[in-house]
Amino acid sequence: MSKQRIMFSPVTRLSGLLSVEVIVDQDRVVEANASGTMFRGYEWIMRNRHVTDAVYLTQRVCGICSLAHGAMASYLLDELYDNELSENAQYLRNVMYGADFLQNHIRHFYLFSLPDFVRMPDSPPYHEQNLADARLNPADNQRLVGNYFEAIKAGQRSHEILAIFGGKAPHQHSFVHGGVAVAPTADKINRALALLDSIHAFATTSLIPDTELIARVYRDYFHIGVTPRRLLSFGLFKFGPHNEQALWRGGVLTDNQLNDPRLELIKEEVTSSWYAEQAGPVADAREVEPAPYKPGAYTWIKSVSYTGRPYETGPLARMIMNGFYQGGTSTMDRIYARSLETLLITELMREWLLKLQPGPAPLKQNAEPVKNKVVVTTDAMRGALLHSARIVDEQVERYNIITPTVWNFSPKDQYGQRGPVESALVGTAIPRPDMLGTMLGRIVRSYDPCIACATHVLDARRNMQDKILF
Amino acid sequence: MQQKEFVELCRELALVDDHALTKTILPVVKEHLANNSQNKLPVIWLETNDSGDNNIAFMNTTFPYLGQVFSEMIDLLYSNTFMAAQGQDALMILEQTAVLYRGRFTLVVEGAVPLKDNGIYNIIARTANRSITALEAVTRLGSLAQYVVANGTCASFGGPTAARPNLSGSVGVRDVLDKEVINVSGCPTNPDWFVGTLAHLLLYGRPELDNLGRPTLFYGFTVHRHCQRRSYFDRGDFAKKLGNIECMFSQGCMGPRTSADCPYRQWINYVNWPVKANTPCIGCTNEDFPDGSTPFFTPLPEKSGQAAAPGGAQTLPAGVPITRGGGPG
Repeated sequence: MSKQRIMFSPVTRLSGLLSVEVIVDQDRVVEANASGTMFRGYEWIMRNRHVTDAVYLTQRVCGICSLAHGAMASYLLDELYDNELSENAQYLRNVMYGADFLQNHIRHFYLFSLPDFVRMPDSPPYHEQNLADARLNPADNQRLVGNYFEAIKAGQRSHEILAIFGGKAPHQHSFVHGGVAVAPTADKINRALALLDSIHAFATTSLIPDTELIARVYRDYFHIGVTPRRLLSFGLFKFGPHNEQALWRGGVLTDNQLNDPRLELIKEEVTSSWYAEQAGPVADAREVEPAPYKPGAYTWIKSVSYTGRPYETGPLARMIMNGFYQGGTSTMDRIYARSLETLLITELMREWLLKLQPGPAPLKQNAEPVKNKVVVTTDAMRGALLHSARIVDEQVERYNIITPTVWNFSPKDQYGQRGPVESALVGTAIPRPDMLGTMLGRIVRSYDPCIACATHVLDARRNMQDKILF
Repeated sequence: MQQKEFVELCRELALVDDHALTKTILPVVKEHLANNSQNKLPVIWLETNDSGDNNIAFMNTTFPYLGQVFSEMIDLLYSNTFMAAQGQDALMILEQTAVLYRGRFTLVVEGAVPLKDNGIYNIIARTANRSITALEAVTRLGSLAQYVVANGTCASFGGPTAARPNLSGSVGVRDVLDKEVINVSGCPTNPDWFVGTLAHLLLYGRPELDNLGRPTLFYGFTVHRHCQRRSYFDRGDFAKKLGNIECMFSQGCMGPRTSADCPYRQWINYVNWPVKANTPCIGCTNEDFPDGSTPFFTPLPEKSGQAAAPGGAQTLPAGVPITRGGGPG
């Protein structure tokens, strides 16, 4: 049979709206176009507002990783106002940040990814699952389904830790510039520790063994969805009075060469994206605007590159760069690294909670900005995240965000280079036609896509590099 | 199928191999259940232009936990977030269930609906030939649904998605449907508000709504009225900064003109809420959120969206005039 064009849409069990079109020739995927199909223009929403609104407003970019944006905006404001963070503030911030990671990772593995490997009960919302390649024996299958329902509680408890200190979740309130507005008191620390103990127990007795079982039974996925070994991380868990230290290092890993990321080497472009073309790195270029009918374009996500090459980002990059995991860059490596990271974070959070000193709210906000433009980077749940802002009289003139899903779901650039997800899909052998959807779903979800985050307009008057660094 | 017919069929096919009885009976039983189940609320959930925060908030429900909601309360027939089916299988389920449960399902919409360019800014699914916009899906499914529930402020009123300059021309569901929309606003919604609304529909039918279409059960009073820090406000004892224990009015609190039960109910297993966390309520359930709430940390009378005269004072005297909106606050 000749080439077949197949639309895999909607890709369910993720945040936001995603369609993937593939071309299958004989039994192999030979082309893939991943489309983010929602547009909100979030960075434009940030314009002409007081810059301190960024903490609460940017959280609304994303529901599943909201604190990542609130944290980034806080780091950005810390630098803008030259705040000095106390040790207590940093421990508390990282406890909250860690809690949102646990929430994200546990929910991703069980609620989103697991139905790719496990036969769910035949009742809504699991009806007509059509899992073409179910391999678990009935006893294991039943245990993992049970753990799906236990994971619901573990995810809720993760957000309860965040809410104890943050007021609510998603879109917490107390992690703001200058520190945290809630006092770490013995009762709160103790309650958080108790919740954390139960999550840690869940990670040890369910998440890790379940991941290992899936990895064993579906071990061929260590060779499926493989991407070139180009990984990026901006580091994770900031410490120090000026957020200058990261507990987990970031880096740019190319084959086995690890270097520090240099922001000036990041470039963005819109060849395959629904935006009006950028005129190039010259002054007075037009503003980039949404262009939903642009010929040849197929997504609201733009292409981002480092030294002109696409880079993959996420838990796998962090685990490899920090020496916690020695593996490849396949579908199962991504899944495995995320579960491993979950366990490590439960251990770190316990340490931080025990180091917290009971006392008043660790918060000191300076009133006057000392700069008018700032770029900050750190990792979010899905990988490298960048916020940058330019302000005039504390009003936002420009605010830009590059999310991890933009890295992972970059469409083809002007040279036809595929981003990580498309590159992971292309070349996949499909043993039987009925396995296509199941296989595509497994590969795509291993990136933990968040399309709500990824689709925003470029906010640039000049060239892309200016956009990031001003 | 009549009882007699059913019994005869069971007798006839009982001893036939290859599950003939099951094969024959199952579709009949399925059809019967689809038409007669009074125990669970059939729900079709569309995610449109949003951040996905309301489905995450929904996962935080406790008693019932999410699993109990699925097993005891609702038949979640379509949901981009939760359903096991994917791709064209999922789309087929959407089409079939909308017809099969016509006039009986509850449509939940999470997110605003872009109107610009016929709604091309949000496509909920594509086929080989066409794109299905949120506008088309909400309009069509809305007309087939028994109840329509807007989950979150984006779906209710446009919310952050429709904040200025609103490049996608997004609006709330009420602006694209001719029928009543039950608005469960909030950014995100407290899971109790959403699950509680579904429970009301299931057990008692349509809940009483306020003038913005929100269940008065949850939105009947202002945050200010029930705030634990009301005594500080009444004494004119205002917080000097975030992190203080006094009244947050000076820090931009929107409580006086925000209808929600946060002070009583609280969030995430009822442990906390924004003012208890020493920060202002930012009015996330309001019709004009976020534009009417920004700058978030500027006192209410001085916010850009407010009519009151600007002033520089960070500490306000007692007895400042408070506008009251929404419910019978």
